[in-house]
Amino acid sequence: MVHALQRAGRRLRPGGMLISLRPHRTWRPAVAIIAPGYRLPVARLVNPAFDRNLRSADSALDRVVDEGWFIPAGARSSRFRIFLQRPSQMRTYLELISPPRPRFPRGGRARLHELWASAPRGARIEVTEYLVINVLRRR
Amino acid sequence: MSDDRLLSAYPREGLELRLIERFTSLRRKHVLEIGCGDGRLTLQYAPRASSVLAIDPDRASIDEAAWQQADRGIRNVAFRVGSIEQLPEQGAAFDIVLFSWSL
Repeated sequence: MVHALQRAGRRLRPGGMLISLRPHRTWRPAVAIIAPGYRLPVARLVNPAFDRNLRSADSALDRVVDEGWFIPAGARSSRFRIFLQRPSQMRTYLELISPPRPRFPRGGRARLHELWASAPRGARIEVTEYLVINVLRRR
Repeated sequence: MSDDRLLSAYPREGLELRLIERFTSLRRKHVLEIGCGDGRLTLQYAPRASSVLAIDPDRASIDEAAWQQADRGIRNVAFRVGSIEQLPEQGAAFDIVLFSWSL
């Protein structure tokens, strides 16, 4: 990963920007059942394999700054929401994500179905995902 | 159409561009995008950029990106199968290198 960033640095003009857009390392996707005036948290999805990749990415970005390739130019977190009409769409949604895919923690999927069974009419499933952008300037 | 086909695991169009442009404009820039996938984000910002070289190791994704590009009549993007490791170290300098969900 460090090598990829160094290689990218070699192709950037001085003062050029390296931008990394990726999932947030610690804010895991949150699943909730929602309806007007109603929000019931279900679970946060887990992805241990991908977490390792994200830790490596953070370390690699720190390292190329420490090595003097880049100067930090900014970082920001944001979030976005995906809405599902019913629990069966959760599988489709997860399959849209490139491996390694997130999954429910133990008991999480059962909790979703259990809570969905008693949700008000018109309820939806909301998945809130968090992302982070890091911007580095080439020296 | 099944509403499953409307599902996306990515942010709605525009969110990532707004985040990027808080830090730097893409207008008239030469951009290298690493891990462009099917060009979902690439084709959002390409009309602002001067040129884009977008690479991804997955041929099927690059084929889809090229099809979408042709469908939209966007001419300033070169989609290529490959990775940053395969990119020559020497060559035209870029203004921006974007790792889009790929680092």
